[in-house]
Parts: sequence; C-alpha cells; structure tokens
Amino acid sequence: MHRFILSKLAGMLAVLAIVAVLVFVLTRAASGDPVSVLLGDQATAEDIARVKKDYGLDKPLPVQFGYWLREVVHGNLGQSIFLQRPVTQALWERAEPTTLLALMAVAIAACIGIPCGIVSAVYRGSVIDQLFTGVAMLGASIPSFWLGIVLMQIFAVSLGWFPVSGYGAPDAALPERLHALMLPAIVLGTLNSALIIRFTRASMLDVLGEDYVRTARSKGLPERTVVLKHALRNALVPIVTVLGLTVALMIGGAVVTETVFGLPGVGNLVVSAVLRRDYPVIQGALLVIAAIYVLINFGIDLVYAVVDPRVKF
Amino acid sequence: MTFALPRRAFVQRPVLLALAATVLSAAGGAALAQAPRNFATLAMVAEPQTLDPMASTADLVGTIMQHVFEPLYTFDAKWNVVPMLAEAMPKISADGKTYAITLRKGVMLHSGRELNADDVVASLQRWMDTSPRGKALGKELESIKAKGPLGIELVLKGPYAPLVAQLALPSGMAAIMAKESIATPLATFIGTGPYKFKERKPDAYVLLTRFDKYSARKEPANGYGGKREALIEELRFVPVPSANTRVEGALAGQYDYADLLPVEALPRLEKASGKTLPIMTPSFGFPYLVLNTKEGVAANQPLRQAIQTAIGEGEMLAAGFGDTRFFTAEGNHFPKGSPFYSTAGTEQYNQRNAKQAKELAEKAGYKGEPIRVLTSRQYDFHYNMALLMAEQLKRAGFKVDLNVVDWATLVQRRNDAKLWDLYITHSGQFPEPMLSPPQLGDGAPGWWSSPAKQAALTAFNQQSDPAKRAALWGKVQQVVYDEVPYINVGKFASLSARSPALEGYVPATWPFFWNARIK
Repeated sequence: MHRFILSKLAGMLAVLAIVAVLVFVLTRAASGDPVSVLLGDQATAEDIARVKKDYGLDKPLPVQFGYWLREVVHGNLGQSIFLQRPVTQALWERAEPTTLLALMAVAIAACIGIPCGIVSAVYRGSVIDQLFTGVAMLGASIPSFWLGIVLMQIFAVSLGWFPVSGYGAPDAALPERLHALMLPAIVLGTLNSALIIRFTRASMLDVLGEDYVRTARSKGLPERTVVLKHALRNALVPIVTVLGLTVALMIGGAVVTETVFGLPGVGNLVVSAVLRRDYPVIQGALLVIAAIYVLINFGIDLVYAVVDPRVKF
Repeated sequence: MTFALPRRAFVQRPVLLALAATVLSAAGGAALAQAPRNFATLAMVAEPQTLDPMASTADLVGTIMQHVFEPLYTFDAKWNVVPMLAEAMPKISADGKTYAITLRKGVMLHSGRELNADDVVASLQRWMDTSPRGKALGKELESIKAKGPLGIELVLKGPYAPLVAQLALPSGMAAIMAKESIATPLATFIGTGPYKFKERKPDAYVLLTRFDKYSARKEPANGYGGKREALIEELRFVPVPSANTRVEGALAGQYDYADLLPVEALPRLEKASGKTLPIMTPSFGFPYLVLNTKEGVAANQPLRQAIQTAIGEGEMLAAGFGDTRFFTAEGNHFPKGSPFYSTAGTEQYNQRNAKQAKELAEKAGYKGEPIRVLTSRQYDFHYNMALLMAEQLKRAGFKVDLNVVDWATLVQRRNDAKLWDLYITHSGQFPEPMLSPPQLGDGAPGWWSSPAKQAALTAFNQQSDPAKRAALWGKVQQVVYDEVPYINVGKFASLSARSPALEGYVPATWPFFWNARIK
C-alpha cells in the first residue's frame, strides 16, 4: 500500500511539473496583453511599458518562468494583475460555489443516472430502456447554455422559484446560497446524468450476465435483492470512476454554466482571466485544477478498494 | 489493504433526497421572508478591471467609482461644465494660463477629515502621473500648488481650453482622494462621494454604502451636477457578463438596474408586464474605424480617402444595431444641440460609392494589397459592422483580410504599426471633443500626425471662449474628413433596464444612483 501511494505521488508530481511548463508556455504563446486591457483605450506606449515593468512582464520569458516556479514551489501562485489579490486567495474565494455546485450536480446526476441505468439494464430492449437511452442521448447532446437559458426562463423568470443569476445576496446564509445554486446544478446534473445512465446500464449488463447472478436467482432470492445487492455492488466500480471524474471536471470549472448563471466560481474566474490575459490567475488556476484532478483520480483508486473488496494494493 | 465499510453505505439516495428537500424548503423560506429593503442590485457588464478610478479609462470603473470619488468639476444635463468639489468655476487669468480654483468649505472625506487643498494637489499630481488622461494634461501644465487651505492654482504653459472638461470627466477620473490614502496600487478608497467603499468580492459584487457625513451642493440636481443625495443605503454592483442573463434577470425583476442590454431584447422588455422598464440613452456612443497612417497601404492618404468613399456608414450601423431606434447615421461628430454640432466635411460621410472609390484607389496607386482589418467579437456590433464593411470594400475592388481576434489580442496588436491597416472600436459620446477619440491627441494607435491636424487643433485648444471654440471644432472635423485618420461611423443609443422599484433614476452615459430611491 505504501509503495502504491509513493509511486502514485511521484507520478502526480511529474504530471504537475509537465502541466506547469505547458500552462506557462501556452498562456504566453497566445497573443494579447493584459496591460493594454487593464489601462484602457487612452493609455500611451510609455504607460504600458511602465506597468509591464511593475508586474515583471518585461523580463525574458525563461526568467519569468523561473520566478513563477520558485514561488509555486513555496506554495505561492503569484499576484493577480486585475484582482489586486494573491491568486491563492482568489481561488479560495471561488472554491465554495464551485465545489457546492459540483457536489449538487453530481448528486442530481447520480439520482437520475443510476436508477435509470439500472432499470434500463434490467428491462433491456424494452420500451422503457429505449426511452431512457434516447433521453440520455438527448441529454448528452444539449448544450448547457441552451438548457440553462430555457430553465432560467421557465423557473426563474416565469415562475420566480429561483434567482436568475448570482450566488445569493452578499450577506446570504448557506440555504440561500444553495437555493441560488439549484438551477445551475439541475442543468449540470441533468446533462451529466446522460453519461451516468449509459455507464450504469453497460456496467449492469456486464454483471447481470455473470454466473453468480444466475446462482443468486436460482437460490430463489427476490429480484430486487439480486439486482440491487449482488449485481449493483459489482457494477459500481466504473460508475464510481465516472462520478469522480465528473466532480473533477466540474471543479475545473463548469465554465459555461457558471458564466450563464453569473456564479463567482472557478470557471468564471478562468474565463475572465483568459479573456484579459491575467497570466498569474490562468497559470495558478490551471495548476490547481490539474492538482485536484490528479488527487481525485488518486482518491478514486482508493475507493475501488472500498466498493470492490477484490481490489488490493 | 482493504477498507471495512457498512454494507449499505454506498446507497446515498436517501441522504441526497434529504439534502434536496432541505434546499427546496430553504428556497421557500427565502422567498417568504421579504423584509423591506434598502439596497439596490445593479447588474453591470463585467467585473471592473480595477477600482482605481485613475488607472483605467474603462467606463465601468468610472460608473462605479464616481459614487465614491468626486472631481472638482462635473457636467450638467446639457453637458455644461459645472462645479462639484470646487466652489465655483475657476478664475482664469487674462492670458488664459492661470486657473485659480477654490474648494467648497466643509467637504468631508470618508475618513472623517475635512478636505483641503493639499489633498487636491496630491490627487491631481497622481492623476497626471498615472492616468492616461491626466498625462495628456500634465504635458500642458507648468505648475500646480496649494494657495491656502482651500485654494489651488494651476499654471499652464499656454492656453488650453479643454482643461476644465478634462477635470470633470468620470472615466479616467481626476478623482480627489485623501492625500494619505494615495498609493499605487490604491489600497483604500477614501473620497468625498455620497457613497463610501465597503467591500469587493471579485466576480461577485462591489458594495458601496451611504456616507452619512456627505456634504452636498445646494443647487438642485442637474445631470451629474448639483445636489447629490444617497437615498439608497447600499449599492450592490454585480457583474453579470452574459448579456442574455442580464436580460433574463431584468425580466425576472431580480435587478434594480441592468446595464447595456442587447438591442434585440427591447420587444421582450417592453412586454415585461411591469417587472422591468426599458431605458434608452440616445447618442450614447459612436463606433469608429481607425486607419494606420504610419505603415502599410493606409499610410497613403489618397487611399484612405478611397476607403472612405467606398464605405456606407448607414448600412454598417444597420448591420451593427438592427433597429433604427438604436442608431443615427449622420456625419456630424457631435449631435444636434451640442455646442460642437457641425456639418463641415459631412458630404464625405456615407458615400458608398464603389465606382468612385475604385477610381480614387487606382489614382492612389493601389495594387491589390490586402487591407488588414482588425476586429473582435467582444462586441457583436464591431464584428457585424466589420463583415459588412469588408463586403463594401470588396465591391470597390479592394482586397480585404479580416482578422477576427479577441479583445486582449486586438488591444495588443493595434500598438504595432506593422500588423494592421484598419481596426474597429467605439467610444462613448463625450461632451468635449478632446476627450475622445484618442487619435486627436498624440501617439495613439494610427499615429496620425500632420501639419493640418496640428494647426486646427492648436487653434481649437487655445481658444477658451466657448462660442468661438464651436466654430473652430468644425475646422478640426473638416481635417478629419480630408485626411481620414479615423472614420466616425455614426451614433448609437444604448439599452438598459430598471425595475419599477427604482425611482428617480436619470439615464446617463455613466449611470449614477445617487438621488434614486427604492420604493
């Protein structure tokens, strides 16, 4: 086990090092200039040069990379050009809405996806299976901004059940914040449930054809027990993987959904940082997202051992 | 290694259902608890680039921070300059070089101290050091000093008429701040405005709260001038970058004010059954095309005239704004009613004459080099106008190379004369010609510099008599049409919306919310 964890950790560090280099090179390779955006239309060439100097953007790229890497190793992701605060603080402030949104969305996706997938598998080829599979295909093909706007018009504008955008009033308590997240979570959850339905169905079909399921049935166990206990538990490994990766993806920023619903989350931060070339924020955010992704993958590996006792490290 | 886990632990559904139930019941509770409120939610187009009113000329920064910081002068509803922190208009010496300004007595800073001339001198100094607009003025300035606790004396190198208007503009503002708070970057925001800064959470909100010791002017409110009163306890500026979301939020009644909505939304806003009211601000701004007078094909002035002959600004505006209520195709750079209204040179506006343009281009020695047009989709109307203009140019025999980039790339590339021939941008319609576009000054992209420009602008800027300045502006406009350093495409109106609860709001280029109340 220790060896497993150590080798995994080494792999994670290698991945992060590669990400750090790639992120730095790619953000600088893109054209565009944060200082021209910051200073606006009336800035002169000297103004731009002066502010670039203030932020160290006038130095050669390898030197800038060296500075940045040294800071990163010390756990400091640098200072945002636009937000007047450290990148770590900016990320920390966005972590709450994004994490809550990801968890709520995955909960919704699982609530829809797993039962539908099981039913589809059990009644394979039936009308209900075709219905669920069809709906899943549809869900996977709908763009999130479209579903967002449609749900917004129905539930926020016409019915007034949810706010259109934002993350509650500035002094809002948690329930109000969760309420503000409901609509975006439904959008993300519904769309992602498509994938879960497909995975659950495929995984269950594999398992339902196994000998031990036939044995369980021949023992006279009720169908419910056979499906939910004997089959589902064994089918769970790929489903957990997909759920975990979905959380990771969303923490990396449900970019479109956060923008449509005006949520102050990580996705929104990354988009605005890219649009105005806030290099420290782009670099820091992508590095942290990569780290979270890698960690969640690692976590999933550990969870395998829980849901499937045959998995040992 | 294996983990022991209760057998049913993976069945999460009951927990999730409980969570969902909690959230829904909380939602019901929040909807029921409608206490009387004294705040306004104001949906803005983006997160402000900075809260330092001098550091950026972005309208959004000025819109928010004009509540916190005040200038010495400001504009009334007819764009006349009127005093704000200054007691009265400056006393100008006979040679037009010395401006004596006296502050109002008893103006309080947000720190609780009384404003004095030292604060003003330090603020203006910072403005001239850091702000792009201030720098332009700094070049004209000989000295600035305090004369007693409330007196300030500005001495210019030569007469410079736009001075007072420069001091009054809310964007890139000559903001007066407490001397001890001055730092770069600005960490505290201590001004004299009716609102003081409370909190900023990037991408979530900027909160301003009423300043109880605000010293208002006695004159009745008029435009940005006169009496300002913070009737709403707290202003919440919320960034809502998606224009569609701003529309939906306005329709749902979530925002008291929604800034800059797409013009297509007007019919829906008009039918919004009392939840929101559309606001149109006419002559809000003007799109303009900047031509590269330094390098490339457009450096050739006769060819720039051929381009001007080829394009039809009316069609471009229609492509950009659709509804005729939202644009005016006219060649006068300032609207009727403005002191700077002039028709000089306007026969060269909106010609759309492909045949003549072709002849002019041939005479100018055009050999089919591509005209590199730089545009972005940051604003849809830029892009739509660029597409149409490209077709108009092609019809006149030009080869067009349309470079569609994002805004951050455009603002970078336009600083390099080698990369483009023409780019599209827009500006607010300002009261003083020297405020915009920057091409009227020196060194702005396009790098326009010519003896005719120099002569016309010098005459215009040295004349401090407003009536005579108006006539002199016509001469500048004529030179712009003759030399084509930029093409003013026309005027567009803006669309915003307010909730019926927001009363007393007066439409303005930089929306302000003092004197407005929540019903």
